[in-house]
Formats: sequence, structure tokens, C-alpha cells
Amino acid sequence: MAPAATLLAILFLIPIAIVAAYSLLSRGPYGGVMPPWNVENYMRLADPLYLSILWRTILYSFLATAVCLLAGFPLAWFISRSGTRKGLFLALVIVPFWTSFLVRTYAWMFLLRDTGLINSTLQWLGLIHDPLPLLYNPFAVIVGLVYGYLPFMILPIYSTLEKLDPALLEASADLGARPMTTMFQVVIPLAKPGMLAGGVLVFISCLGAYLTPDLLGGGKTIMIGNLVQNQFTAARDWPFGAALSLLLMAVVMAMLMPVLRREKDGLL
Amino acid sequence: MSRWLSLYAVAAYVFLHLPLAVLAVFSFNSSRFTAWESFSFTWYHAAFSDSQLGEATVNSFLIGTAATVLATAVGTLCAYALWKRSSLWMTSTLYLSMVTPEIVLGIALLALYQWMFRYLGLQLGMHTVILAHVMFCTAYVVTVVAARLRTMDASLEEAALDLGATEWEAFFRVTLPQLVPAIVSAALLVFITSFDDFVITSLVAGVDSETLPMVIYAMARKGFNPAVNAISTMIVVGLGVLILLSSRLEHKA
Amino acid sequence: MNRRVFLMGVPGLAGCSRGGAQRLNVFNWTEYVAPETIPGFEREFGVRVRYGVYESAEEMLARVMSGNSGWDVVFPANYFIAPMVQLGLLAEVDHSKLDNLGTLDARFQKPHWDPDLRYGIPYMWGATGILYQSNLQPPIEAWSDLWQPRVRGKITMLDDPAEVLGAALKALKFSLNSEDRGELARAKDEAARQKPLLRAYVNEIVRDQLVAGELMAAQVWRSTAMRAMESAGGRLRFVYPREGYPLYADTITILKESKRRELAHAFINYLTRPKVAARIAEVKLESTCNAGARELLPPVLRDHPVLYPDEATMQRGEWFAPLSGEAQKLRDRLWTEIKSS
Repeated sequence: MAPAATLLAILFLIPIAIVAAYSLLSRGPYGGVMPPWNVENYMRLADPLYLSILWRTILYSFLATAVCLLAGFPLAWFISRSGTRKGLFLALVIVPFWTSFLVRTYAWMFLLRDTGLINSTLQWLGLIHDPLPLLYNPFAVIVGLVYGYLPFMILPIYSTLEKLDPALLEASADLGARPMTTMFQVVIPLAKPGMLAGGVLVFISCLGAYLTPDLLGGGKTIMIGNLVQNQFTAARDWPFGAALSLLLMAVVMAMLMPVLRREKDGLL
Repeated sequence: MSRWLSLYAVAAYVFLHLPLAVLAVFSFNSSRFTAWESFSFTWYHAAFSDSQLGEATVNSFLIGTAATVLATAVGTLCAYALWKRSSLWMTSTLYLSMVTPEIVLGIALLALYQWMFRYLGLQLGMHTVILAHVMFCTAYVVTVVAARLRTMDASLEEAALDLGATEWEAFFRVTLPQLVPAIVSAALLVFITSFDDFVITSLVAGVDSETLPMVIYAMARKGFNPAVNAISTMIVVGLGVLILLSSRLEHKA
Repeated sequence: MNRRVFLMGVPGLAGCSRGGAQRLNVFNWTEYVAPETIPGFEREFGVRVRYGVYESAEEMLARVMSGNSGWDVVFPANYFIAPMVQLGLLAEVDHSKLDNLGTLDARFQKPHWDPDLRYGIPYMWGATGILYQSNLQPPIEAWSDLWQPRVRGKITMLDDPAEVLGAALKALKFSLNSEDRGELARAKDEAARQKPLLRAYVNEIVRDQLVAGELMAAQVWRSTAMRAMESAGGRLRFVYPREGYPLYADTITILKESKRRELAHAFINYLTRPKVAARIAEVKLESTCNAGARELLPPVLRDHPVLYPDEATMQRGEWFAPLSGEAQKLRDRLWTEIKSS
């Protein structure tokens, strides 16, 4: 198995090596890269403008991950407890994601906008007079991120909870533990690897998001994903885009390392 | 508490399916715009007569299925190998591959392919798309399967080994069956990721491997085309019915 | 979705399709030909066409840059021609194989970006302007109107640095393609000053919100405006701003890597036939560069003031041009500042 794993690692490392090489080259006039080699792209990173964008991205991603965890855990728990319907309920989580991300985002735009479903329903019920500004703000971005990556939280948690033996819960109840105690003493510790895996998947996915801030945020705030995307499209500055990505990767790895290390068996 | 949980589950499913309901409703709207006009099958007609959409859907299914099978197999083995002998080096590599922004990975892969193909006389196509998808989805599988492995007891497999099973037997007979829920979860994640990927796919696709997201994103550029709603609705309903049927069959079995 | 379609997707079988008929690979924007355009060509020449679509010019460029992409004909904008020629991607077109160049509009016979039409045959042209609710009094006439307090929270701009900086440059009476640090810095300040008035930076999806009456005005591409006006009737009006506005033209080009040049020329010849071009312009509500085709359009389209504005209006327009690397770098930095302000 070791050779296969090594091969895989090489496959992953080659693209990363290419990115690293790009970040040290100069910008080609119409995209692409060319000599000479230099570190100018890294110098440009040390700029409060880019660092503040990085900071905002991490903040949004963290928030979205937290909401995903709070919203996803009960649902994963519900699915894992639903006996023979497990498969069906799990599938129901996945069904919406067979559609394109773009199409789903457009649907959210329709739900959230001034004459959209939510505002017109609230107005029809007489709860509000003027439409609420739901679209084109950080709130909409967070909603979009949570919606987009919720399955990445639910599925790993489910796959760890699924194993939970009902007898264990009964035993806990028989011993006089209240449901909440059982939850915190038995269930959550068991689900911890799943929550961790889900958290990492959601957090990392949010960091790279670019369409959600553009469409639901109305392009008024910019995340690091947009910045990277711009370097490879409108700005045609591949080396700087590569340097930005490496900065992002370095920061995320630095954040993940303690988590990876602290776990006893060093697996995750 | 269980009543509250059920109530919450209903609310969560509404949240997940609301956008889907919206696009299903508008797929039957006669207007091109998101304002209800009248009921019509116009967009279903348009979707069916658009050979590009149909072909792209088929391509997406082929690519998604191949990538799912490959990434799930490779990722599961990888997670297992890491469970047996952890390696911070390899874990870090996997995470690095996940953190790489899509467009950067896409550009790097394109460069790699083009450089290799210049000498081999090959062109971009389905195979390059599948390879790219396997590369960025494998890490998801490892993460999900590894999480499940960590809740497992290693002594079970050791017992099997003590009883004379070979390593492969122990893996296939003892460990693998316990991993099924994680493998299914991972496979579902890989499929939706592959089926929906635009950025990387659009960079490494060839002349004959246009996928559904590529067509949808390109269409959106000229103003949204509700034929996309129609085809999305058909995919969801089609796969949904399949799932319902299979869960019925499971019940009977 | 028959077997043939299925097999076409398998890499090994790509180039050779049914009956060994030749196949031309055309890479274009979506909705840029009429439904019968491609089948018509296939029938007439007994060949097959693979019509692929791209989402952005950058996507197209990234894919054809290797010189081994498999595409034959692509449709770059006028300001992409010079870069693509420098990258050695475009083949020269052979005028002896084209019969319809004479029907091109005089404006496109000798365009400044390619005076002898060596690389690209102009196809459709487009512009950027303002679409607004026609009951708005006084009406919107200029970019600077989008800085007025009365539009606060009721307008959007395009999510595109060239367009937003372009509008600000034009409002300041500078060139769209300015590379001057001082001018660009002032344009950035203007754009940042406008940002609090904006509901969003958004592209074609703004259409629905304009039709629904949620917005007062928006900076839009003309193709978006035509679609919106088609369904909103007289409620929406499009204006070519007084200070000037961006123009661009998409051109038909043949890639140097193409091994089917003969067929590619036949395809260009076919697309420039007045009848074919007219049909496309009619169905897709675009402005054709082909004067012969325009003549064949129904009068309401032929004399449409938005599709074919008068000479004075055309004179105000400025064609997008390729920018130097330094200018692009600077503009991206300014754009990031605007977005983060």
C-alpha cells in the first residue's frame, strides 16, 4: 500500500510544485508566466489591503462553519436515529446538490431579493411593510455558504454517528442519565471525529468561495477566492495569483496543524 | 426531545429544498424571467431539443460516475493506509491539495497536462477531466473515511490476523464492512462535487468533454436560460425516483 | 441522447465521427448563432460541427493557449486579437476564400485593430450603457447621473473592473483605455464614492430585478438590455451615455493549430452570408457587423435605435483596446481597493 500512497502524494505534490514555481516567476503580458525568477509577488502580499481581505475571508468561513456545525449536527443525529429510513433521509440531504451551484444560487437570489418569495410572503402576511434588505449583504453570503456546504458537515457526522449502538443510549438512560447528559457524555464524544472532518471540509471549501460573495453579496465585499480568481482572469497576473494561493494555503495549514497534531493517533 | 428533533428536521429539509422548489416552479413558467406568467412546458421542450444540454448531461454523469468510483476506491485505501501507519507528511499533502483554490489547481493541472501531452501527442478530453476530479476529490474521501476509522476498534482486525487471516482478508472481511456508511457518504460527496465542478473542469476539458456546469455557466453569461431549470428538475426527479425505488426494494429485501 | 452522442464523448473516438465525415470544432459564446445555423452548415457541406461554448474570454484564451486544444474557429473580441496574434495563436484568413467581405458594414471594412482584416472577420458588435425605468424624471442620460443622490440604493454597476473603471473614466472625460496613473487614481476615487449608492455589482442577472421594477437603473451590456426590454415593453429604456461609452466587436478567427483551414474558411464564408447573418441577428437580438445582413432584417430591427444607433451616437463610443501589463496590474489593485472600501 505504501507505493500507492506515495504515488498519490506525488500526484498531489506536482501541481503544488507548479504553483510554487509560478509564484516565483514574472507575469506574462497576456497571462501565463515567464522568466526572470523573483520574489516580487511575495513582497506585494505584505500589504494591509490583501491581509484584511484574508482576515475577512477567514472570519466569514469560520462563521459559516460554526453555523453548519450547529445546523448540521441535529440533522445528522436525526438521520442516524431514523432506522430503516436512514438511506432515504440521507438521500434527501443530497438531492438539492444534484443541481448546479449556479442555479441554486440564482434560486437564493430569487428568494432573498426585494420582490422575492420571502419578502413578498412577509408582506402578504402583514408582518413587514417595506421589504427587508436580505440580498447583497454579508448575511446573504453566510446563508449561501452555509447552504452550499451543509452536506459536507452532515455526511461525515452521520457516518460517525451511524455506528452508535442504540443499546448504549438505553443503558445511559437506564442509569438515570438525562437526555442532555447522554448527548454530551456519549454522543458528542463519539461524533467528534466526524465533526472535525466536517468542520475542516466546510472551512476549507468556504475559503475558496468566489461565486457566493459575487452573487449573493452583490460583489460589494471581496473574499480571497475572488482575489485569486481575478488574478487568473481580468488581471491576468498568474504569478501573483499563485503567490496569493500559497499564502492562503500556508495560513490554513498553520491553523490546521495544531488540530492535526493534537489528535493522539495523528491521523486527522 | 424527539418531537423537537423531528420538527427541526422538517425545518432543515425545507431550508435545503426551498431553492429546489423555486427552480422547479420556474421550470414550468412560460416567461424567461423570475416572475410568474403562466404554466407551460416551453422550457422542457427547449431542454429536449437542445442537443448540447443533453450531451453535456451525459458527459457529466459519465465523468461523475468514473471519478466517484476511482476517488472513493483510492481514497478509502489511502485512509486505511494512514490509519495503519499515520504519516503527518501525507496527511499534510492531502490537506494542501484541498486548500489549493480551484482555479490555481486547474491552471496547474492544465500546465501539467499540456506539458506532458506535447510529448505524447495527446489532447485534453474526458480522461483529463476525470483525472483532475479524482485528484481533488480523493482528499474528501480520505477525510470522511478516516473520521469513521477513528471511531473503530483496531483490535478487531488484529484478532482476525491472529486467527490466521491475511492482511487483505482482514481488511475486506472485517474492516471494510464497517466502513460502508462512510464510504457511501464519501461517494455521495464526490459525486455532487464532480457533477457540479465548473472551474477546474472548464480548464482541463477538451473539445469533446463539455460538462453540464460548463454549459450552464456559459448560458448564464447571456442571461439565465430556464431550460437549465427544466433539466435540473428532471435530473432531481429522475434520481429521486431511483432512490425511492431502491429504498423500497431494500425494505422488501 | 443516443448511442452516437454517447460515443462522441469517449476520448479515443473523438476526431473520427460517423461515416468519416470531417468535423469542424467551433468555440463560441452561447446563444450566438440561430438554432438552424449550425445544422444548415452541416447539411450543406456534409460535415459535422462541434459547437462548444465558453463562459469568459479568459477561459477561451487559457484553453487555446497551448496550441493543442483541438478547436478550429474561435470568436475573440477585437481587443483580444493583438494579444492572440502575439502569442502566435491566430492564423491569417485567406481573403480569396471569402466572398462576402464586401457586405461588411463600412465601419468594419478597415477597423483600426486589424485594418486589413488579416486575422478576424467582424461578427457582432456590442456596447455598454444604462438601462433605466422609463418613468424616471428627469431621465438618465449620462454616467454622471449614476452618482446622483436620488439613485441611492436603487442602482447596480457591472461586476467587471474594465466596465466600472471605464464608466468612471468616461464620467471624468478620460479615455476608457487610460493607462495614466493619475487618471486611474481619480477614476478609482469616483468609483469608491459611488459604491455607497450601489445596491450591488452584478452582471446579466440584474435583468430580472430591472424587469420586476426593483431597481431604478443599472449599468448593463446592450445584449442584456435588449432581452430585458423585449419582455418589459416600454417600461425600460436604454441609453448610450452622453460622455461616451465602451464598444467592442466579436470577430471570427481561425486558430493556427487548425488542420481544417479549408473548412474553417467555408464556415466563415457561410456565417458572413447576408441571409445567414441576418437570421442570427434577428433571433439573438444582436447588432450584426454585416450591412448586407442588416438590410434583410425586419424594419423594426433594422432601424432599431438601440441596435443600430445613429452616427452621432456611434461617434461617442470608444472601442476597448488591449492594455499593457503594468496598466492591468494597476487596475486590478485599484479594483481590489474599490471592492474593499
